[in-house]
Amino acid sequence: MSGTALTERGAEWLRLMLRIRLFEETLADLFAKGRLVGVVHLSIGQEAVAVGVCAALRPGDQITTTHRGHHHMLARGLEPEPMFAEILGKATGYCRGKGGSMHVACFERGVTGANGIVGGGIPMALGLAVAARELGTGGVAVAFFGDGAANQGTFHEALNLAALWRAPAIFVCENNGYGEFTPSDRVTAGPGIALRAGAYGIPGVAVDGNDVAAVHTAAAEAVARARAGEGPTLLECRTARRRGHHEGEERYAGTYREAPHVEDPIDRLEASLGDQSLRARLEAEERALIERSLAAAEAAPEPPLAAALEDAFA
Amino acid sequence: MSATASPSTANRLAPAMADAIAQEMRTDPRVYVWGEDVTIGVMGPTRGLAEEFGESRVRDCPISEVGFVGAAVGAAIGGLRPVVDIMFSSFTYVAFDQLVNQAGRIRYMTGGQLSVPLVVIGSAGAAGSNAAQHSEVPTALFLNGGGLRVAFPSTPHQAFWLTRAAIRSDDPVVVLHHPALAAARGNVRPEPLALGDAEVGPEGDDVSILAVGLMARRARAAADSLAAEGIAAEVVDVCSLSPMPWEAILASVRKTGRAVVVDEARLTCSVASEIAAGLAERAFDRLRAPVRRLAVPDVPIPFAPSLEASVIPSEEEIAAAAREVVRA
Repeated sequence: MSGTALTERGAEWLRLMLRIRLFEETLADLFAKGRLVGVVHLSIGQEAVAVGVCAALRPGDQITTTHRGHHHMLARGLEPEPMFAEILGKATGYCRGKGGSMHVACFERGVTGANGIVGGGIPMALGLAVAARELGTGGVAVAFFGDGAANQGTFHEALNLAALWRAPAIFVCENNGYGEFTPSDRVTAGPGIALRAGAYGIPGVAVDGNDVAAVHTAAAEAVARARAGEGPTLLECRTARRRGHHEGEERYAGTYREAPHVEDPIDRLEASLGDQSLRARLEAEERALIERSLAAAEAAPEPPLAAALEDAFA
Repeated sequence: MSATASPSTANRLAPAMADAIAQEMRTDPRVYVWGEDVTIGVMGPTRGLAEEFGESRVRDCPISEVGFVGAAVGAAIGGLRPVVDIMFSSFTYVAFDQLVNQAGRIRYMTGGQLSVPLVVIGSAGAAGSNAAQHSEVPTALFLNGGGLRVAFPSTPHQAFWLTRAAIRSDDPVVVLHHPALAAARGNVRPEPLALGDAEVGPEGDDVSILAVGLMARRARAAADSLAAEGIAAEVVDVCSLSPMPWEAILASVRKTGRAVVVDEARLTCSVASEIAAGLAERAFDRLRAPVRRLAVPDVPIPFAPSLEASVIPSEEEIAAAAREVVRA
C-alpha cells in the first residue's frame, strides 16, 4: 500500500473509529442519565478490530457478532440512527425495536446479527459461508467473538467443520482480556487462542488488535484465502476492554478490573497519520452525525403494540 | 414441482420421508442434507439420497450437534434450505441453543427480516430397550420453546406430505418419526397435507381419541376393537403439533362430547395436557365427561422391556380409557 493510499484509508478508518467511539460514549451517557432501556455492552477501546476487519469485506459478505457488537455493525456500514433507534426500542430500529442492543441485524448490509449467547454466532457464520459458496455468490462470512467464546463448544465444532469443508469463513477472536467479569487467563488454558487453529490444520494468526493497519493486513489475507477457496482462518486480535462488562455494573460488580495498559487505538492511528488537524475535523463531523442520529431516534415512535405478536412465524 | 404432482410410490413411512426429500432436492438446488451418518441413511429418512445427489449435497457431519445445527441455521439464513437428520430427536438437547434460542427466535428478534428455512428430522419414542436417552418424545420442549413448527407423522401419507411441507416452509420445522413406525405400511394419497393439518379416521360419534405419533396408530387399533363392542370412536391423528390443528380437534370433540388424549411424552406439560386444557377452555359446554389424558408417567423411559411397555399407553389402555369415558 502506497503512502497516499495508507493515508486515505487511514483517514477513513479514523473516521469510523471515531464514529464508533462517539456512538458508544453517547450510549454510556444515556445509560448514566437513565435514558436507556435494557443493558448495553460497550466496545470502547476495541474499535481497531472492527474497522480493520470490516475494511477487508465487500458488499454481500456477512458477519455475525456478539452482545458487544456495536463497533462491528458500524464498521460494516450500519447507520447510527436506526442503530440508536433499535437500542432505544423504537419502531424505526433495524429490527423494529424487537431485538435491542444484543440483536441488531441488517442482512442486506451484511450484518446477519449480533447474539445474546456467547459463541452463538460462530457456527452460524460457518453456515453463511457454506451457503455463499454453494450459491456461488463469492461471499465470505466473518464470525466475531470474544475470548470467552473461544472456550465454547461452538468454537471448536465450527472450526473443525469449517476446516473439513474448506468454508470461506474467517473466525475473528477479539481477545479483550475479560470474559464477562473474569480475566480470560484465569479461565483459558493453553498458550493462546490463535494456536488452537493448529489443532484443526488451519492458519491461526495473532495480531495486535489495537493496530488497525495490522488487523487489516491479517484480515485481508484471511479474506483472500477464503475467497480463493483455500478455507478458513482463525485471527486472534489482542485488545483491551476499556469499560466494564456492561454499563451499570458498578452497582454490584465492584472494582474487579484493572485499567488497560495499552495505548488507545484511536490515539495510535492518529499519531501514525501525522496530521495534526485531521482528528479534530473528523470528530466534529462525526459528533454532528451522532447528535443528529440520536435526536431522530429519540423522536421516533414506539413500536405499535400489535408488533409484539408479529414475526414469530412466517 | 407443483402441488398437483404425482405423489410418492413409497409405501412405508421412512422411505416416504426419503422420497419427499429426494423430490424436493430434484427441483430445488438449495436443499441440502446434513447430519449424522446420512450417506448410509442409518435412520431411514435419508437412505438412498447420497447415491442420487452425491456427497456435496448429502453430507456426513461429525458428532457435533450444536455445530452442524448452528451451521444449518446460518446456511438457512444465507439462502440454502438445509435438512438436518439429527438421528434421535433427544440429540437436539445438545443443540438446543441453536435450535430454540437461535433458529426459533431469529425471525422475531430481527423484526421479521430473517427467515430460517431449516428442517430437523429425528426419531422420537420408544422402540424396544433403547433406554432413557434414546426414547424421548421432546414435543413439549419444542412447542414451549416457540418459533418452531413441529410435525409427527404416523403414516407414510403423512410422512411424505408433511416432510415436503416442512422443506417448503420458511420457518424452522422439526419433523419427528417414530422408530416403531419406520416400516409402517400405507400409500401416499394424492391429496396433500399441510403443516397444521390433522387426519381424522376412523370417524365415530361416541368418543374422540386424540393421539400423536405411535399413539395414533394404537388409537386406530383401539377404535377397531371398540367398534366390535358397539362403541364408535373417532380418531384424530394430531400429526401437526405446531400449528396445532385446533379446528379438527374441536370439531371432533364438539361432535362426540367425549375425549381421550394420548401422548408418548411425559404427562406434565405434554401435548396431551395442552390439548386437554384447550378443550376445557374452548369446548367445555359440549363435554359430557371429563377429558382423560393418557401419557407417560413423569419418569424417564426404562430399559427392561416389561418396564418400558408398562409406562407407555397401550392399545388396551386406550380402549379402556375410551370405554370409561363413554360410560361416565
